[in-house]
Amino acid sequence: MAAFQLLVNGVALGAAYALVALGFVLVLNATSAVNFAQGDLVMAGGLLAVALAPLIPLPGIVLLPVVLVLMAALGLLMALAAYLPLRRRPPVSVFISTIAVGIILQNGAAILFGPEPRAAPPLFGDDTLHIGGLAVPEQSLAIVAVAALLIGAQQWVFARTQLGRRLRATAQDPEMARACGVPVTAMILVTFAIGAACAGAAGLLLANRYFVTPTSGGDLILKAYIAVTVGGWGSVPGAVVGALLIALFEVGVSSVLSYPVALGALYLTLLAILVLRPQGLFGEAVRRRG
Amino acid sequence: MAERRSAVILTAGALALLVYALAFASPYGLRVLTVAGVYALAAFGFQIVFGLGGALSLAQGAFFGVGAYVTGILGSRHGLGFEATFPLSMLVPFLLALPVGLAVLRLESHYFALATLGIAQVLHLLAVNLPELTGGSNGLAGVPAAVLFGWAVPRGLPMAGLVWGLVALGGLIGWRLARGRLGRSLTMLRDDPLAAGTLGLDVGRLRLAAFGISALFAGAAGALAVHTQRVVSPEVLEFPVMVSILTISIVGGRGRMAGAVLGAVLLLHLPEWFRFLERGYLVIYGAALLLTIVLAPDGLTGLLHRLTARLYGGKPRALVEAREPPPPPALPEGLAVEGLRKYFGGVQAVDRVSLDLRPGTITGLIGPNGSGKSTVINLLSGLERPDAGRVRLGGQDVTGARADRLARAGLARSFQAAALPAGAGVLEAVAAARLAFDRDAATAEAHAHWALDRLGVGELAGESCDGLPAALRRRVELARALVRRPAVLLLDEPAAGLTDGEKADLAALLRDLAGEGMAILLVEHDMGFLLPLAGRVLCLDRGQLIYDGPAGEVRRDQAVATAYLGRAGSA
Repeated sequence: MAAFQLLVNGVALGAAYALVALGFVLVLNATSAVNFAQGDLVMAGGLLAVALAPLIPLPGIVLLPVVLVLMAALGLLMALAAYLPLRRRPPVSVFISTIAVGIILQNGAAILFGPEPRAAPPLFGDDTLHIGGLAVPEQSLAIVAVAALLIGAQQWVFARTQLGRRLRATAQDPEMARACGVPVTAMILVTFAIGAACAGAAGLLLANRYFVTPTSGGDLILKAYIAVTVGGWGSVPGAVVGALLIALFEVGVSSVLSYPVALGALYLTLLAILVLRPQGLFGEAVRRRG
Repeated sequence: MAERRSAVILTAGALALLVYALAFASPYGLRVLTVAGVYALAAFGFQIVFGLGGALSLAQGAFFGVGAYVTGILGSRHGLGFEATFPLSMLVPFLLALPVGLAVLRLESHYFALATLGIAQVLHLLAVNLPELTGGSNGLAGVPAAVLFGWAVPRGLPMAGLVWGLVALGGLIGWRLARGRLGRSLTMLRDDPLAAGTLGLDVGRLRLAAFGISALFAGAAGALAVHTQRVVSPEVLEFPVMVSILTISIVGGRGRMAGAVLGAVLLLHLPEWFRFLERGYLVIYGAALLLTIVLAPDGLTGLLHRLTARLYGGKPRALVEAREPPPPPALPEGLAVEGLRKYFGGVQAVDRVSLDLRPGTITGLIGPNGSGKSTVINLLSGLERPDAGRVRLGGQDVTGARADRLARAGLARSFQAAALPAGAGVLEAVAAARLAFDRDAATAEAHAHWALDRLGVGELAGESCDGLPAALRRRVELARALVRRPAVLLLDEPAAGLTDGEKADLAALLRDLAGEGMAILLVEHDMGFLLPLAGRVLCLDRGQLIYDGPAGEVRRDQAVATAYLGRAGSA
């Protein structure tokens, strides 16, 4: 019984992490750049939902489209300010510029919202459902459903639409894509927008049960990073699986020991993976571009 | 002279700080100045590991915190004095950096950043969750003042003096390291790690040294921070410390010690002008960091440098006298390869290739595009590891050895696209190839000058690599290989893009070198250039050797003709 509830919690947390990691890996593939601000974008999405809630006194699911659109706009802005001017420079420049964006987001949020933890409204309701003797929080199910829907939508767009083909072509080989007439710069901007929207959605999903503070992005970027490393650098399904594994690990160890121990164990596992299997548990999906 | 100009600017800056500290600064102003010095010291270390070495260590803030905790714990709980706590505050982060560095330094740059950030997070967790040792989230109060020769240094001017005295000392050490062999080697491997390996530089060892040095600086800074604050809490291990060090280094000017000082003084005073932001003052750091990286990637000192260079003309360098490097090691067996194999995924790129490069011979390696020539060169020079086969250099088994070890054992190679570091001077670029061999940078430059003279381009020594025409770039690249006096030289299409006259010069030079006993392997498409020059020619097709014989007969060989012209029946 307890194990089942842990499983539900773990999968719900993992679903939200998967969105974070997904946004991270999409930008990584399109630009070969590490977006260090991804965690802070999650935080921004969460606080955006907190700020919107009094204006739109409806369940969180109604806020979701608004958060997605506004966060996509933020992602676009970020790409224009922190990626495009640096695209011909060494990758470390973009790493640093996204660290800068993260600092701005984090401390901007601290100025606007103060350091206290805030909670966003639940997606549908706060009730606990009883299914065959099992108590399941409604919000957990909603998180899993919404995240699955969003990830499914992203997969569908990438697999089935003209836009998706262009986005994939850009991610695979920007030079070749450009030669084939794909507007690569526009595709990169779209990818940043999608990445930020994913982060924003994760922020909304997480900010109900786990609260959000201006500094919560720091842990999240590490987890996204770890998920992508575990899943194989550059692999989209790997990132999703990695995120689920991390969340289950975190929830499992926290329940037996404590959250700090779980976090510490997670980082130590990461270090061990980096040293022993730097290509990730499932192999690296992208070879370094020459 | 550029050096004197820098010295004048530095002295003026130091005097201005001194006058401000003595005559104008309020007690609060002095405190800000002291903290600025502390951060400058931490940033020196970061300039070495990241600015010069290019390894984005996100553990610099954590090492600062560890130094702070060592002084905090030993000083407040165990009553140890400055003479014990200060060295230990440097030593503990250093000892922490070594095993961590050994484990993660060969990782690609983004993984290195992640790993170091992970370490920082683990340390922060420990500090919060081990209250018996660290005082938990409240930290430890009652850290004593620094006691020097029995005198407890009070806050205010004396503490500022102590900190800035150490900044001056640390800056001088950092500056000397940056200008010397270590700094140049680090820059080389930052700009082009592959080439650095083939020039004989041990990438892992150099990065480890830089990482260790960065931890020493950070630990010293952390200790001084605690003597200034008199308390230590987990805040010293939080990300804002790292952010401050990073911003200071980038805004001040990447890789420059003066930049660390300028950045620290500027950025520590910035929040004072933006008081209304309160705890959110770091938003200014973020903005400054973003603006600098986009608009002025060399930072403020970089701008200043360019400005003075424009005002007073470029830097006229005193060129060192050319000196001949010691002769190459005698390797009578040359390079011998047996049954070399390499797979990429399921594809066999190189299949049972055997060859022999004897001293004094020129061997040609030809084959259609994609036949595996470049892979063979990469295998021989240690950039790829063979899946099977044996490689012997001078009779010693060097199968699977790394590029830097092969380079130090007497092997040199060139790259198809001459890879000269952007922004570097020609002499500097060639001298980089001697850094793994010579005692100091000046000796390396003297040897580099000899190599340039030997190639007839001695007058290029003072020029910049940027904007050199292709033929001269190739010469400089060749000088880089030659300056090491290798016993075995592997050249990847050295004649591509040369005029007939230049090709003739190159051919004469290669004959001379072979005459002196060098073993040369030439990968070439240009048969008119290659065949008269090479004694023996090898032809590769789909990873296999299909011809191994005299250069004169290769044109008549049926298998070679088929490889180039396509098989009958295949489209």
